[in-house]
Amino acid sequence: MIALGGKMIPCYTVQRNLACIQRTVGGVRWTSSCRPAPLLTASPVRALIDDKISIRGHFLPPRCPVTVCAQMQSDDGDLWEAFAHFNTNSDGTVNLTRDPSVGGSYLGCEPMGLLWGLQPAPGAREGLRQAEKKKVETPYVMLMSLLKGHVSPSERPSTELAAVTAERWYMAPGVRRIEIRQNGVVGTLFLPPGPGPFPAMLDLWGMGGGLVEYRSALFASRGYASFSLAYIGHKDLPGPQNLINVGDPYYKSAFQLLQDHPQVYPDRIGIIGLSFGVYLALRLASHSGIKPSCLICINGPAGSTIKLADADGRTEQTENDQKYWTYDDQGNVSFRAVSLPANLSPESKVKLEHLTCPLMYIVGEDDLSASSVENANLIEETLSAAGKSQLLTRLSYPGAGHLIEPPYTPNSRASLWSVKPQKLVTLWGGHLAPHAAAQEDSWKKILEFMETNLRH
Amino acid sequence: MSMKPLCVKLSVQPSRGLVDEKFTVLVQNLLPGFQLTVHALHQCEDGHSWEAFAHYTTDATGTVNVSQDPSLDGTYSGVEPMGLLWSLRPVPGSKSGLRMRKMNVLTPMVVTISVYQGHQMEGFLDRVSLASVVVERWYMAPGVRRVPITDGKLTATLFLPSGAGPFPGLLDLWGGGGKLVEYRAALLASHGIASMALDYLTPQITKETGKMVDNDYFETAYRVLEQHPQILGSRIAMLGLSFGTSVTLRMAVYSQDVKLSCAVCISGSHVQPIGGSVEQILAYFNGNADKTRFDENNQVIWRDLLLPIPTDPSLKVDMGRLQCPLLLVVGEDDQNWPAHECAMDMKEMMERAGNSHLLTVLSYKNAGHLIEPPFMPFARASTFKTVTNPPTKVMALWGGELVAHSRAQEDAWRKMLVFLRENLYGGMKHGASFSNL
Repeated sequence: MIALGGKMIPCYTVQRNLACIQRTVGGVRWTSSCRPAPLLTASPVRALIDDKISIRGHFLPPRCPVTVCAQMQSDDGDLWEAFAHFNTNSDGTVNLTRDPSVGGSYLGCEPMGLLWGLQPAPGAREGLRQAEKKKVETPYVMLMSLLKGHVSPSERPSTELAAVTAERWYMAPGVRRIEIRQNGVVGTLFLPPGPGPFPAMLDLWGMGGGLVEYRSALFASRGYASFSLAYIGHKDLPGPQNLINVGDPYYKSAFQLLQDHPQVYPDRIGIIGLSFGVYLALRLASHSGIKPSCLICINGPAGSTIKLADADGRTEQTENDQKYWTYDDQGNVSFRAVSLPANLSPESKVKLEHLTCPLMYIVGEDDLSASSVENANLIEETLSAAGKSQLLTRLSYPGAGHLIEPPYTPNSRASLWSVKPQKLVTLWGGHLAPHAAAQEDSWKKILEFMETNLRH
Repeated sequence: MSMKPLCVKLSVQPSRGLVDEKFTVLVQNLLPGFQLTVHALHQCEDGHSWEAFAHYTTDATGTVNVSQDPSLDGTYSGVEPMGLLWSLRPVPGSKSGLRMRKMNVLTPMVVTISVYQGHQMEGFLDRVSLASVVVERWYMAPGVRRVPITDGKLTATLFLPSGAGPFPGLLDLWGGGGKLVEYRAALLASHGIASMALDYLTPQITKETGKMVDNDYFETAYRVLEQHPQILGSRIAMLGLSFGTSVTLRMAVYSQDVKLSCAVCISGSHVQPIGGSVEQILAYFNGNADKTRFDENNQVIWRDLLLPIPTDPSLKVDMGRLQCPLLLVVGEDDQNWPAHECAMDMKEMMERAGNSHLLTVLSYKNAGHLIEPPFMPFARASTFKTVTNPPTKVMALWGGELVAHSRAQEDAWRKMLVFLRENLYGGMKHGASFSNL
C-alpha cells in the first residue's frame, strides 16, 4: 500500500493512474502517430456453435499487457463473462490461436477459451446452466473487447481499446425446423437444406425432460436430418410430467417417422443418447426390432435407473429412487450412485448381446450424475463375452463431467435441478478445461463416426 | 453386401459472411473423375432470379474445391474462388437491363449453392440437385447499427460500427440515379467507419418543394457527422461515385465548412461549372446532350458529354487547391463518364500545382463505370432512370468486361479500405475502436 495524499491506495492502482497521466510509462505508448488505432477481429464473425473462431488484436504496442474479454447474454437475460490476460508479442499483436493466457478465466493457449470459459457474471442468478439455448433459430450475440492492461471485466474504469461483436448460431442458413406432433410422437425435426435424401439421427436427452433441440439443430447444420424426441416432462405428452408414460411403441413410432420421411434415407439412421437417453438408445437397438445404423451413447446407464411399470418401459413413481442420492457439504445432490450397475433394476438391463450395429460410448471420468465408467465397463464386458467387441468404440475423458455437449459452450459443474418440492442443486461434475477439451474432441469424433456409419 | 449409394457432401465456409468476404465451396464424397456442375441461385429483392454455374471434375479423392480447382466451363472459367457470385446473371427469360442492388441491408442476400450431376448448361431449376446449401451474405456485421437521419431536412441513413467508438466518419454519395442507397455505407461501417449514405438528388425535401438541394445540404450532412457523439469530428472522409464525385471534389476543394481527412472518387470527373449549384452542374451536362451516342444495341453512351476536357479553368474544379489525400478509382472502359481521361487531367493539374503527392490513381483496364464492392454481379448495361423532370428511362451502357471488372472491384475495394484506414486511423491521439477489418 502507498500513502498518497493521506489516502491508502493499493500499489497496483497507483501505477495505473500514473500510466494514464504519462502515456509513456515504462516506454509503453498505447497510441502513436505512426500506427493505426488498436483493432480487434473475430473470424468468422457469424459462426456456427461448433466452428472455431480466430480472435486477434492488432496495432498494439509490443510486449504489453492486454485483456480480451467476452460477454454474452443468454435467452433468459443472464449475463455471462470470460476474460483472459495476454502479453502482446514483438509485432504488437495478440492471437488467441497462438498465445497463452497468463490469467483470467482460463490459462494457457486455448483458442476457444473465451467461449467455454464463460461464467455467470458477478451478481447473476444462482445455479445457471448455460448451454441450454431454448430458441435455436436465433444466435448468441457475443461482445468481445480488448482492454488495456491485465484487468478483470468488473474493474471500472478500464480502457477499451477495441471491440467486436460476433454471432454464434446453432442453425446454418437453410436448415428447417419442423415441430412434430404426429401419431402421438412429440419432437422437433431439423432438416438440412437441399433436396436430400439425408442420413438421420434420433436425438435423446436425459431425465431433465422437455425438448432439447440444439444438438439436432447442429447435426442438421452438418448435413444430417435430426429428430429431437421428448419422452418425459413435456406438456404434449401423456401425464403426469414427472414419469415416463410412453413405452417402446412410442420410440418405434418416432424411428418409423424418420424412416418414412421422404427426405431421409431409411437405412441410414443412427441414435444418440445422453444420460437416460443412453438406456433408451440401447434398449431400442437391442430389443425392439429397430435396426439403427449406429449408436452414440454419452454418460448413461445400460439399464433403467427407475423402476419400470411395464414391459414397454414406462416408469412408475417411487420414493426409492432417492435412496441412492448423495449430498455434498453444500447440500448439492449427486445422482451418480443411482446408475451403478448393481443398483439398476435387473430386468431392465439391456441385452447388449443382441446389438448388431457400431456403438460409440463416451465417458466423462468426473461424471457425478451417472456411473458412466462402471456402465461403460459393463457394456464392454457384455459385448466382449458375446464376441462383439469390435462394435464398440470407447472414448474416455479424464476431468470431464456428465454433460458432454457440443463444443465451445461452458460446462456447469452444478446447476439448479428443481425448485419444488425443495430447491435442489445437482452436481454434474467436470472441471472447466478438461471438460471443454472433452467436448471438442468428442464432437469431432461423433461427426466422424456418423460420417463413417451413415454416409459411406 | 449391398453397395450403398454415395452420399455427396457439400459445404460452404463461412455459411454466413460479409458481402466482401471470400468463401470456400467444397464438394466431397463422390467418385474420382466425377463430372459435376456447381450452381448458384439468388432471388433478389425485386423478385428476379440470378444464376451462375461452373463445370468441375472431381480429383482422385472424389473432391472439388472451388477455391483451388479450375472451372472447365460455365459463367466463369479457371480457378475463381468467388466466381459463383460475381458471374451471377439473370436466368434465361428474364427482363433485359437488370442490375442487382440490395436496398434492405438489414437482411442478408441469400444464395443457394447446389451440385448437379454432369456438366449442365441449362434447365437447372427443372433438375434435382445432388446436394444444396444456403449461404447468407451480409452487408452489416453483427453489432452495426442503422440510424435513419432526418435532422436538418436530410434524407440519409447513418451506420455506426459496433462498439463504443468514437469512430471516424464518412459521407457516402452515389450518382445520377438518385435514391437512398445504403449498402456501401453499411459495409463500410462493418469495417469500422461510421458512414452516412446521403440521398441528394431525390431527397424528401426535393420531392416536397420541387427544388434541388445545394451546397448547404452537404455541409449540413457533414456537420451531423462532425457533431455526432460517437464520431471523431476531425476524422471525416467523403466517398463519391459518378456524379457523387462531382459533389465530393467541389466540397473538398471549395467548401469552407467541410474539412476532409481524405476523399475517394470513383468513376467521376472534376469537370463542372465551378460556383454553380448542383442543379446548374446537371444543366451543364444536359447542355451537352447532343454528344450522346448509341451503340449497336441502342444502349446510351454518355462519356462524350464531358469531352473534350475543357481548358477553361472555370469549368473544372481547381485540383491544385486540394489539401487532403485523394484516391481516384477509374475504369478504362467506362462508357458513361470519361473517368480515365479526367483522372489523367486531374493528375496533370496537381503535378503542375505541386500537390500531386496527395493523389493516388487506380485505373483498371476493361473495367466499366459501376465499380462497386466486390463479388457483386456485373452489368455491362442496365436500365437507368434519370432524375430529370419528367424522368426518362434508357438503357445505359456502363462498359467493362466481366472478369476484368470483377477483378477491379475486388482490388479497388481492398485498396480503398487500406487508404481509408491509413488516413482516418493513422496517428489517432486517443483510443478509437476499429472493429472488423
